[in-house]
Amino acid sequence: MGNRLLSFLMASVALGGFAEAKTVIHVMHQGDPGWVSTYGEVAKRFEEANPDVDIELIYAPHDAYNEKFSAAVMSKQLPDVMELDAPFLANYVWSGYLQPIKPLIDQDIIDDMTESNVAQGTYPIDNELYAVGLTDSSVVLYGNRKYLEAIGARIPKGVDDAWTREEFEGYLEMLSKLEGVKWPIDTFRGYGIKTEWITYAYGPILQSAGCDLIERKSWKSVGTLDSDACVDALTMMQKWVKNGWVVPQSSGTNQFFAEGHPAALALGGHWFYAEAAASMKDDIIVMPLPKFGPKGASPNGTWIWGITTASEHPEIAGKFVSFMLKDKALRDYAKEDSAYPGLKSFAADSPLYANGGPMAIAFEQASKTAIARPPHPAYPIITSAFMGAVDEIFNGGDVKTALTAAAEKIDEDIEENDGYPPFDEQQ
Amino acid sequence: MSDLAIPTLQTEAQRERSAIGSMRLLQTACILVIALVIVSPLFMLLIASLKDDRFQILADMGSFRAFWVSNPTLSNFAEVSNLSGELAFGRYLLNSLFILGCTVGAGLIVNSMAGFVLAWGTLRGRALVLSLVIALYVIPQESIIMPLVIMVSRAGMTDTFAVQIVPWVASPLYIFLFYQFFAQLPKELLEAAEMDGASVFRTYRSIFLPLSLPALATVSILMGIETWNQYLWPILVTQTDYARPITVGIATFFGQDSIYWDRAMAASVLMMIPILALYLAFQRWFVSSFIGSAVKG
Repeated sequence: MGNRLLSFLMASVALGGFAEAKTVIHVMHQGDPGWVSTYGEVAKRFEEANPDVDIELIYAPHDAYNEKFSAAVMSKQLPDVMELDAPFLANYVWSGYLQPIKPLIDQDIIDDMTESNVAQGTYPIDNELYAVGLTDSSVVLYGNRKYLEAIGARIPKGVDDAWTREEFEGYLEMLSKLEGVKWPIDTFRGYGIKTEWITYAYGPILQSAGCDLIERKSWKSVGTLDSDACVDALTMMQKWVKNGWVVPQSSGTNQFFAEGHPAALALGGHWFYAEAAASMKDDIIVMPLPKFGPKGASPNGTWIWGITTASEHPEIAGKFVSFMLKDKALRDYAKEDSAYPGLKSFAADSPLYANGGPMAIAFEQASKTAIARPPHPAYPIITSAFMGAVDEIFNGGDVKTALTAAAEKIDEDIEENDGYPPFDEQQ
Repeated sequence: MSDLAIPTLQTEAQRERSAIGSMRLLQTACILVIALVIVSPLFMLLIASLKDDRFQILADMGSFRAFWVSNPTLSNFAEVSNLSGELAFGRYLLNSLFILGCTVGAGLIVNSMAGFVLAWGTLRGRALVLSLVIALYVIPQESIIMPLVIMVSRAGMTDTFAVQIVPWVASPLYIFLFYQFFAQLPKELLEAAEMDGASVFRTYRSIFLPLSLPALATVSILMGIETWNQYLWPILVTQTDYARPITVGIATFFGQDSIYWDRAMAASVLMMIPILALYLAFQRWFVSSFIGSAVKG
């Protein structure tokens, strides 16, 4: 009896010990229902392959992700692995939330990353990689084939062949007079000013025109964001709005493919292709973003994966990230979702973006014109100030005044944070 | 003379009747237009929930096709009714109902008791407490939300039902509403109960509470809507499906790159039903409470 009791106790201790030995990895993510289900399935497969690990997925809606992240920081409940929007990486690294990911991820994944993917996950101070993703993103110019043929527009064959500013504005004017066209272009004002859209999609127009949101060596915005080139670029955009050429914010985000096809062009993200092609089929033409000045520019960056400094098991967290990025079912779902490839092997396996594919031009932009949003800890202020200025400009405000106010707001934040050292030493 | 006057009077009466008729017609037309404006988004929501192509729903928006479905299907409802799995929307709905029931139930008891004590209790410094309650009402929820997150996190309440119920049970607004209602009831009721030897609790439970149906209905509806629509708080304090409410679940459909309008609409229809039922159940007292407040005010 005594032996049996002892055996029972030992077994209980052993079982208890076993249960406690299970490592829990918390993974915070966002995404639509398809992605949420896919991450859940990946986590299950990882747990099957690693019975001593429990993956606990923490979901936060896309629109409230930053609030959820702030709450996790304040309550000291940072997850082991977190999904993050690439332009916020510098802020998170500077704040000490992320750790270098290169030693924790399989080397073949690192080698597989596209140049743009490496750029979106790199912190400029130490040039270390802090995040990695399966995907990336871009914005292209979609055109309605019938309308473009009706005005005899030249259709660019590749990124090097993009429309010039003169061509683009000329076509806008011609389209504005064409029967059936209510608005020559949709710049997706319908996404509103609370998303990243304005900075993400309109920032490259400034860069193409020869300026930027902030000077990337001195990290000063005054003199750059309110420079003549930027004032000229946004005056041009304000003119489109004033002329009634742009789909207004109140008309939603479907005017390119809605009944009657009221919008002739659409400056839209890569994800827009799936929505538009579903109803327009072959009537849709994908073109590179126009060159508004001396060079072409396009945006990049999307939601990528990092490992936090709070993780007590960074190796296992890294193992999970590697497992996830290689997971075939996840890649299949990403393909189905028209995801923009951030890994070369994924690009080779994505007919949509491969050479000759309908979105090949979008992928070509990644290597030729992609410019990351300013990798600086002040990015949250940079983006909110710029979005506010664009909103004011589109509502008829003075361009120079709005841009100067935004630039001063950015510089004030940087000064208040003593230049975000060591960023202040980069000059 | 009078022979001549009668037809004139009749004509005036006819004109008056005709004017009243025209006025009524205009009123009816106005009411119909207002009703149409209110009902059409709900109708569009219902129609969209019966379409199975999210891209088509998006393409139809802004045109009359948004109000018509040629091949209605309940598949969206089937997809948002599952009780288990990665996105258990059926469970989220049940979670929301449980949170709603507990918060409103506990809220009615706690707030009405506090209101009663402030109105008729013998507590010293009641006026000061009442002033503090009113002062607390002006503090927006958003300003205290982060400290509250830290508190509940330290208390180990994260990802529970309790964390979505307990902080919102006592509310300055509802305490004040009950206080106002109880204070308007005649003092003789209290004196009669005291003469009969009833305890304070007995007086509250057996005399004042049964008389406060309009206040109970008003608080139930207002608190119900507030609880049902909670979004930011559950995002911050829930981690898993265990206690996740439907509001957070629906947000899943609004992804980074795409919106699943089909399922979002079906889930929204399901989400509307309980709160509509709550309103219809208490509507009579709710309206009478508002009319009463207006007359007395």
